Amino acid sequence: MNSAISAEERLARIRLNAFLYFRADWLERLIEIFGSAQDILRQNAETLSQEANLNPDTAAKLLEAAFSINPQEEWDKTTKLNGHIYIPEDEEYPQSLRNCKEAPLALYVLGKLPPDEHACVAVVGTRKITPYGRRVTRKLGEELAQCGVTIISGLARGIDSESHAAAVRLKKPTVAVIGTGIGRCYPAENRALEKALLEYGGAVVSELPFNSPPNAFHFPRRNRIIAALSQPIVVVEGEIKSGALITAKLALEMGKDVLAVPGPIDSPQSGGPNSLIRQGAGVVTSVADILDYIPQVSRFGLDSRFFEHTDTAPDKPQEDLPAKQQQVMQIIGTGSCSLDQVAEALGTDVPETATLLFELEVKGFLSCENGLYSKNKF
Amino acid sequence: MLANICTGAIKGIEGFAVSVEVDIAPGMPTLAVVGLPDVEVRESKERVVAAIRNSGFDFPLKRITVNLSPAELRKSGTHFDLPIALGILAASGQLSANAVEKLSQFLFLGELALDGSLRPCAGVLPMLISCQQFAKTAVIPPQNVLEGQVSSTPFITPHTLKELVDYLEERINQNQVKINYIPTEETEQEAELDFCEVKGQALAKRALEIAAAGGHNVLMIGLPGTGKSMLAKRFPGILPPLTQEEALEITKIYSICNLMGKSKLLTRRPFRDPHHTISDVALIGGGSNPRPGEVSLAHNGVLFLDEFAEFSRSSLEVLREPLENGKVTISRAKETVSYPARFTLVAAMNPCPCGNLGNPLKPCTCTPMQINRYKSRISGPLLDRIDLTVNLNPVKYTDWNKQSEGETSAQIRERVLQAREIQRRRFAGTSTTANAFMSAKELKEFCPLPTGADTILEAAMRKFGLSARSLDKILKTARTIADLERSEQIQTKHLVEVMQYRPLDRKGVADL
Repeated sequence: MNSAISAEERLARIRLNAFLYFRADWLERLIEIFGSAQDILRQNAETLSQEANLNPDTAAKLLEAAFSINPQEEWDKTTKLNGHIYIPEDEEYPQSLRNCKEAPLALYVLGKLPPDEHACVAVVGTRKITPYGRRVTRKLGEELAQCGVTIISGLARGIDSESHAAAVRLKKPTVAVIGTGIGRCYPAENRALEKALLEYGGAVVSELPFNSPPNAFHFPRRNRIIAALSQPIVVVEGEIKSGALITAKLALEMGKDVLAVPGPIDSPQSGGPNSLIRQGAGVVTSVADILDYIPQVSRFGLDSRFFEHTDTAPDKPQEDLPAKQQQVMQIIGTGSCSLDQVAEALGTDVPETATLLFELEVKGFLSCENGLYSKNKF
Repeated sequence: MLANICTGAIKGIEGFAVSVEVDIAPGMPTLAVVGLPDVEVRESKERVVAAIRNSGFDFPLKRITVNLSPAELRKSGTHFDLPIALGILAASGQLSANAVEKLSQFLFLGELALDGSLRPCAGVLPMLISCQQFAKTAVIPPQNVLEGQVSSTPFITPHTLKELVDYLEERINQNQVKINYIPTEETEQEAELDFCEVKGQALAKRALEIAAAGGHNVLMIGLPGTGKSMLAKRFPGILPPLTQEEALEITKIYSICNLMGKSKLLTRRPFRDPHHTISDVALIGGGSNPRPGEVSLAHNGVLFLDEFAEFSRSSLEVLREPLENGKVTISRAKETVSYPARFTLVAAMNPCPCGNLGNPLKPCTCTPMQINRYKSRISGPLLDRIDLTVNLNPVKYTDWNKQSEGETSAQIRERVLQAREIQRRRFAGTSTTANAFMSAKELKEFCPLPTGADTILEAAMRKFGLSARSLDKILKTARTIADLERSEQIQTKHLVEVMQYRPLDRKGVADL
């Protein structure tokens, strides 16, 4: 914590942060004019707009938002959860975020942020995950975590949850930048994931006031924080118009590298990554493709084994399976099949097919969603 | 003068005897009906007055009191017209002493038209059955002749009030007031629906076979057009035939609801498919004057709820009682009635609100939140009462065009009957009728875990997040699969098959 900033000034900054569209360069200008954040808050909308050349509406909204929260309460609630509220002047505030054009005036953090210059990779994508997206996210996520890279994502359903979960399974830290206040968990089913993530040294980050609800417009904005904290950004799956592509666009504007996982051209969820590749994004076919883009300064301490590109086909872990089960795996291939389809291809009846599928599912080779079986692993 | 006529009334699905006492005294001309009559019964006065006049009798201009005894029980229905009219004729001395004497040998049921002819009325069968003990001859409207034949009570079916009086006065003989209707067997034989007409969907057919064999409830989830309704409509065709007792039970319910149609005794298991906009009361039964609902009309048969998730939440919740107890109890301030409602629930729903989730050809336009909300409309306690859940996927053209047809309903029914026979012997002497209704004690006795199944169940519990309660369901269903295979013991493969029919998974949470 920067002790040069008084507690009152800090609280004033937290107040100002409640206005979501506060630009970093405004604060500098406003402070120059009025002296301090506290002084800014002492003005009325009229003087603000006149002296600082702000739109009168914006000035009124700024004050309205600032006085809608109680900063002391925000502070107390956050501290009670063992969290912190950092402002850019603090050394704990991430360097990469401080450099960003729209850096938040205050950052609510639960857990521990990775040190500056630590390798951080964003793995983002659709909430409507396909079995392919799930397999890819699991594999890449686990390998990144194992290598020592911190995965950054948004704790949403789908790809986000899978990428956090991959790190959590290996008990490695991962950072979730969420679109609500840190006092809430959205979606609620991810509560266990959030808890586990904090337990293994990860962090939950938000720029929003403690109890902010999951408003739709919060999510695209938090994507800029994801992009700012990471290098490179990996888009696994996403439709052509999706939040994942917003993140990619913001990342490009910040000069970050955007990588995409190619997918079937007839899958709507792969439309986003495929179009990114067309526009020149890097192609991800293995974890080494991602690691290539990690800046040199951040490579210290990473597991060098993962940097090697190999041309071997993906391993076939199913080789030790009984013949019948291998046949099932072949029938399903990289697509998805219902029990009826497997039964017909194999020529077996329902009970026998059910047994085969159950065994493969329990062993973790297959997963079943809405009655369709698909490969669970590479 | 005083007259006493015997008739009946309905409470729940049972009838009880009612005596209609008519007193005629000098005074202001009025006709008062007392003894908790419902609206229909109170209106009966007007019909009775007109019917008596139009049959060529005099309506006495005196003070007439009609009492329906026992006076503390509520009476509803239109069948009180005939006994009231006869009571008035007897009390006003328009019948000979001989005819009045004979009145006590009869039980009168019937609605009167204004011209004095008899009209059909509801609930004749249960009233005839409960009044058999009084050894009376029933007088019923001609249109209710089928119910008379089912009840095995002696009866006559006069067409008009006049004809009945002529018979009582012995001006005509019994053959002239009795019609003998022999229903042509299978009068309403619809084109029988057969399972072999459904292409593909082997898993769903198997689930329905298990459901039929063990009395389990089924939920089918699938894209529109995958054959959910087609399969459901064919489901009654693989159920075992009704026993005499079961047939009588449902015929009584249909009689009360005036839904008898042309068949004598209902010989097919009922199939009810109410629309999802149905009100709670129509579904479960009730009303200020309680009536059986769809669940009771589906008693001993099938209740098919298409678009399951579109039913109002409260309608779905009221289903829990009949699913658990096999009956519906309706409590009102004045009375409590209970209707039987042991049915097999066959529910069908889309995988998501737009219906395209998992469709390889069309993208689903729902947000994950909408899908979650849609699925969570089916509450946990309700899902707990559904033993089999099955996903249906689109049928490929090659399947649809396949020459070889699947198994016929008759073949499937053969196996179902065998499994039912095994259960009949297993549960002989208890009230349990099928595996699905096993008590905890029976479950322990008849469903021991096969050796080595512990590891499988444990793996399944972990993998699929199954609760201990769902393990009971799994065991019951596995018992039925074992019965279908005529296997003495539940085997591991039976348990494993049940895992295919596990409930809809609504979490979509990443594994930790």
